[in-house]
Amino acid sequence: MTRLSFLILAMGLTAALSVSAITAEEIIANVERNEINEEERIDGSMIISDRFGSRVKTFISYASGADKMLLEFTNPEEKGQKILRLEDEIYLYFPEAEEVIHLQGSALKESVMGSDFSYEDMTGEGDLLDQYKVTLLGEETIDGRRHYHLELEAKKRGLAYPKQEAWVDAEYWVMTRANSYSLSGRLLKEMELGDIRKVAGKYVPHYIIMRDAMKKNSSTEMRIEKIDLQADLPPNVFSLEELTW
Amino acid sequence: MKLAKIAFRNIRRNRRRSLLSGTAIVVATMAITFLFSYITGFLGDYESNVVRYLTGHVRIRHVEYDEHEQLNPLHLSVANYEEVVRKLEAEDGVVAVVPRTRFFTAIYRNDQTFGGIGLGVDFEREKEMMNIQDSLVQGRLPRTGEREMILSAGLARDLDLEVGEKLTLLTKNKYMGMSGMTFLVTGIVRFQVAGFNDSFFLMPIDTAARFLKMDDEATEVLVMLRDPKQVDAFVEKTRVILSNSGWNDLSVQAWTKVGIIYGMIRYAQNIYDIFALIFFLLASTVIVNTTMMVIYERTREIGTVAAMGMTPREIVRLFFLEAFYIGAIAAFIGVLIGVAITLPLARTGINVGGIMEGVDMELSSVLYPQLNIRSTVFVFFYATAIASLASFIPSRRAAKIEPVEALRAV
Repeated sequence: MTRLSFLILAMGLTAALSVSAITAEEIIANVERNEINEEERIDGSMIISDRFGSRVKTFISYASGADKMLLEFTNPEEKGQKILRLEDEIYLYFPEAEEVIHLQGSALKESVMGSDFSYEDMTGEGDLLDQYKVTLLGEETIDGRRHYHLELEAKKRGLAYPKQEAWVDAEYWVMTRANSYSLSGRLLKEMELGDIRKVAGKYVPHYIIMRDAMKKNSSTEMRIEKIDLQADLPPNVFSLEELTW
Repeated sequence: MKLAKIAFRNIRRNRRRSLLSGTAIVVATMAITFLFSYITGFLGDYESNVVRYLTGHVRIRHVEYDEHEQLNPLHLSVANYEEVVRKLEAEDGVVAVVPRTRFFTAIYRNDQTFGGIGLGVDFEREKEMMNIQDSLVQGRLPRTGEREMILSAGLARDLDLEVGEKLTLLTKNKYMGMSGMTFLVTGIVRFQVAGFNDSFFLMPIDTAARFLKMDDEATEVLVMLRDPKQVDAFVEKTRVILSNSGWNDLSVQAWTKVGIIYGMIRYAQNIYDIFALIFFLLASTVIVNTTMMVIYERTREIGTVAAMGMTPREIVRLFFLEAFYIGAIAAFIGVLIGVAITLPLARTGINVGGIMEGVDMELSSVLYPQLNIRSTVFVFFYATAIASLASFIPSRRAAKIEPVEALRAV
């Protein structure tokens, strides 16, 4: 064996070892560990662009772990409207409605405020490994950074996206790109995350662009204006009773 | 004159035969008279409902609204609609000017989602258009500015909801965001148009504006004219009025040019014309068949009168006169019966609600046949003429046969 062929073999082995050094499940676990916080507060905005132009919706969101989230809109048109997520259940509160709406079934597929996000997109966070069989397809370089390329296939029926493809930054453990597909392989949504900043020891993307492939000329950019990962949230903020107050 | 007497005597002599021939003509003319009245009523109802419920004689919308109608683009609206309404109300020949805001909603009730179509209306102005008050079967109309609504009977049934209960609606607002509001149901309405009874609900237009985050905006303004024939002239006049007042983003359309609706009416008219023609031909066949059969049956009689010296020309005239008298009398009776059936039904109507349930067509659940004098007179003359002419073929043929041979006929 010549020196050159030895070198090529050694390089191949190193590459193979580096891919297999981490499993797909470990990558997802790292992503979730970085993404999920004990208590967080975000002040943000959504810029929704479609054939009719652009609209801005501002919001404050509170989250605790992977299962609880409260989104309150602050822009004048929807001021005071709230979306509460408790595990996989979604509740809507409107200041002029006398009851809290519990969204179920096909209503979860509806768009949030006319954006490219659906209510379904807000659920199922934090339990990707329960819902999907994850396969590591390899490594890719995106914008000069090393990424893991993953494929996610639904383990059970009824999930919003039977197939997904994700690219995870190998250093920050942030999913910087994700494509969602139907069972037949049709692209449903495209998501890009960027402007990653280190906040309280974690890497947080400060913008997300979502494109619903079923909508023509439509995209939604979500921006984080302010983030507090050690927020001291009011008690019962995630309760149905508190929602109507 | 002599032949006329003989013809009358022949009719009286064999009453059963005359009755058979006459009955066929009576039934045919009666049925055609009624059918024509029904079709006239049907098309009139369809046209009236399209104008009252959907388009008015003139429809004003934002110039881009139609292109995106499926997306319920509330931002493409008629701004300052009150001013538009007031300006057009001042014009001659205007019966009503109504602003409307149409929107789609999701209705959440008992953990189920229902679809609904909302209409924000000015109940006072709608008296001349949809006349909602008369369609109210329970409760009262909503009050201006209040969070109140009335439901169509079908929707109330599907939602299992009664007057006095509350209902929460979700909709996409003018800014494409969500709006939710709870409304008191003050009444149940059974619209004339069966298709409206499944999913429609109405609320005051200012309440709808608050719900949809619209200002002094409506999705459309409809105008009803005293004389619909003046529609094109009124459209031109409206365009000038709006343009002079600075509304340059509005489209003014005559109802005959709105989408496919008018085309649908023309299509329905054609279908019904074909339907009437087929029925007309069938009825003609019955008349011709009966008349010819009756004359063929009388070949021996023809032989006898020929043997007695009546010329073939006289024989043909005799049978023509017989057929003419029977035809005229029977057609008159048939038309009279047809009119007698139509007139009370024109008042009470025919309930087709069961048949029309779930049919997405602007037809009333009760149809009122309309007697059309021109077609009724035409039916009378047509039936008489057909019966008379039908006598020519067999009588001419029989008259040509030698009397001896004719006498042998069975």
